[in-house]
Amino acid sequence: MTPGRDAGYLPLREYAAIGDGRTLAFVSSDGSLEWLCLPDLDSPSIFASVLDSERGGSFSLAPDAPFDAERHYLLDTNVLETTFRTAAGSVRVTDAMLLPDTGLVPARELARRVEGLSGEVQMEWRVEPRFHYGERTARIGRRGGTPVATAGGDALAVSSWAAGVPVLADSSISGRFAATAGTEALVVLSSAHNEPLLLPSRAEAESRLSSTIAFWRKWSADRTHEGPWRDAVIRSALVLKLLIHSPSGAIAAAGTTSLPEQIGGRRNWDYRFCWIRDSALTLHALMQLGCPHESESYFWWLLHASQLTHPRLRVLYRLNGSERTPESTLPLGGYRDSGPVRIGNAAGGQEQLDVYGDLMQTAWLYATAADGLDPDTARRLAEIADLVCEVWRRPDSGIWEVRSEPLHFTHSKIMCWIALDRAVRLAEGALIPRAHAGRWSAEAEEVKRFIEGRCWSEEARSYTRSAGSRELDASLLLGALMGYPSERDPGFSTTISAMRHNLGSGPLLDRYSGEDGIEGDEGAFLCCSFWLADALARAGHVVEASELMEQLIGLANDVGLYAEEIDQRNGAFLGNLPQGLVHLALINAAVSIGEAQHP
Amino acid sequence: MSIWGAVAGGFVGTLILTTALSTASEFGLTRMDLPFLLGTIVSSDRSRAKALGYAMHFATGLLFALVYLGIFAAIGHSGWWLGALFGLVHGLFAGTALVTVLLPVIHPRMGTPFSAAADRPLLEPPGFMMLNYGRRTPLVTILAHVAYGAIVGGFISLAS
Repeated sequence: MTPGRDAGYLPLREYAAIGDGRTLAFVSSDGSLEWLCLPDLDSPSIFASVLDSERGGSFSLAPDAPFDAERHYLLDTNVLETTFRTAAGSVRVTDAMLLPDTGLVPARELARRVEGLSGEVQMEWRVEPRFHYGERTARIGRRGGTPVATAGGDALAVSSWAAGVPVLADSSISGRFAATAGTEALVVLSSAHNEPLLLPSRAEAESRLSSTIAFWRKWSADRTHEGPWRDAVIRSALVLKLLIHSPSGAIAAAGTTSLPEQIGGRRNWDYRFCWIRDSALTLHALMQLGCPHESESYFWWLLHASQLTHPRLRVLYRLNGSERTPESTLPLGGYRDSGPVRIGNAAGGQEQLDVYGDLMQTAWLYATAADGLDPDTARRLAEIADLVCEVWRRPDSGIWEVRSEPLHFTHSKIMCWIALDRAVRLAEGALIPRAHAGRWSAEAEEVKRFIEGRCWSEEARSYTRSAGSRELDASLLLGALMGYPSERDPGFSTTISAMRHNLGSGPLLDRYSGEDGIEGDEGAFLCCSFWLADALARAGHVVEASELMEQLIGLANDVGLYAEEIDQRNGAFLGNLPQGLVHLALINAAVSIGEAQHP
Repeated sequence: MSIWGAVAGGFVGTLILTTALSTASEFGLTRMDLPFLLGTIVSSDRSRAKALGYAMHFATGLLFALVYLGIFAAIGHSGWWLGALFGLVHGLFAGTALVTVLLPVIHPRMGTPFSAAADRPLLEPPGFMMLNYGRRTPLVTILAHVAYGAIVGGFISLAS
């Protein structure tokens, strides 16, 4: 049974994502398309009713009578199929963002196909475009008989076949039709940005829908994971593929902005950027699944994007590689009045030292797999290692991007150690210049001395959130995942226990204790739970890791997606979704457990 | 006006243009790297691509110098200032069409705004005026091309 709406909003669990490698759309379980940015994921939205049910804009398509809905992705695809059952009959709706073929195709294209399964179902559809996050009024008209909506350089065509006579109003295009058993209707949105619209024929759109399904199945079949959580791993891989920005190879952290970490709270951030931090884990996940092309594209993008600030790294970059991410707020109410709705991300200007470890680990993984680095890349990596020697003693804002005063975060120090250790390994393998390897090695020892001396709590039997603090931080689990050679806690066993005891609630973990300079509370961070399962497996607690993994797999929504966080009290999704970090942590945990079970 | 003047001007102009862009890149002003962009058309090996790209860039620079010569001959005027004006137009053309639109179309490893999930580009598209490669890229590129044009115009004029 589809849950009812509360003041126009559904629980975040009720959304599925479809996409084409450039942008993605949310489809709700009651048939409404409520999030779509055009032409790219980080462009302004045309549908954003998930962030403002009145002003955001949407594309609804559903029976006009009470219904039950059941949905799933077509096997191993990013194409969604929803079956609506009413007292009068049932219909099946297939939703997909279409991939271009070799012909002349619209810049972006989204298809919604309605098949009558039984009886006669009266269907209603309504397209209410709200360009530029709802700030620009759409002009509705016709081009060659096809309804279109335009605003400035953006245009949207609404082509329909056997879906009733389109009715044009001031700000919407709508239709009604009866779906009887054996009939098929099709509504296609095609968009253009600063260029003329292309209007597809029905046969072309149907053909692209078929080839889109075939592409996703082929792509999934080429992934190499087998194991008890194969379906969840492949779904996660498909989610990551949706978040990969195909024009550049960058990977967005999530598909949305400002879905709140607390209902009514102010922790609402724009995640439609590529974080350096996620890079090592992403590359690891992609390589584990046999995605050499995506891995190579991502590494090339990473090197190119970070060139401008070299040897310093920014925390995050735009998907097109530019570094400007100024933060501002939009006049949207926010999901369930959880404002502000932000675009841009001020964390881009923070100093976060852990990113150097992430980049060097990424380079290490890439160089090992690719069997070498070109001289220019090698020189740049050596210069980054030199920089780490100079900056590791500084306090920073840390992995969680706190907006309070900078601290000596333990995770940041561990990642600085990782950066220097990987630099030494690369030098030893003659993959980067070795002239400064002695200095890197000596500084790595200094970093380790700092961590072991100042970032350990004998009372908690755990590494602490920051030097001299008594707080804990789940990001320290990454130390175990990255192979930091702890002297205080070999294998991180007691640190893992302390995390579970102090930050855990069932399978869930808070990300840290203590202040972060932002008002309000938040849910449990799902990626931390998958890191925990991963760390348990690496520490040899395979049964415990498998049990935790089973519980976590059960926390996905009905189509296998995860948001950033889960409300410990009621299991509701919180934060942006689908969240890349959660899905790639799932993949890495599944692989680690598999390797621990079958070494 | 002579063809040898154009060849000499094209060589020196391209040398200055390439050096200016490379220096701007080292100073963090732009991620624009024309030899790299050109070389990766024929090789995915980064080092080989850069070496090949330099050769391709010099060949392109000589070709454009001959185009300048043709226009100078057609209008019966030449000089460094007219060359600089041509360079300005040349730079604007490079930023709005040549590198932004045409290069992604012929470049097998460069993404375009239309690249989708089934595509596997290695290089991000440059965007309008190559702004994806840094905010100062249009300024750097146009100034470098103005210098190129002035040198080509000057050499052609001197060889008259």
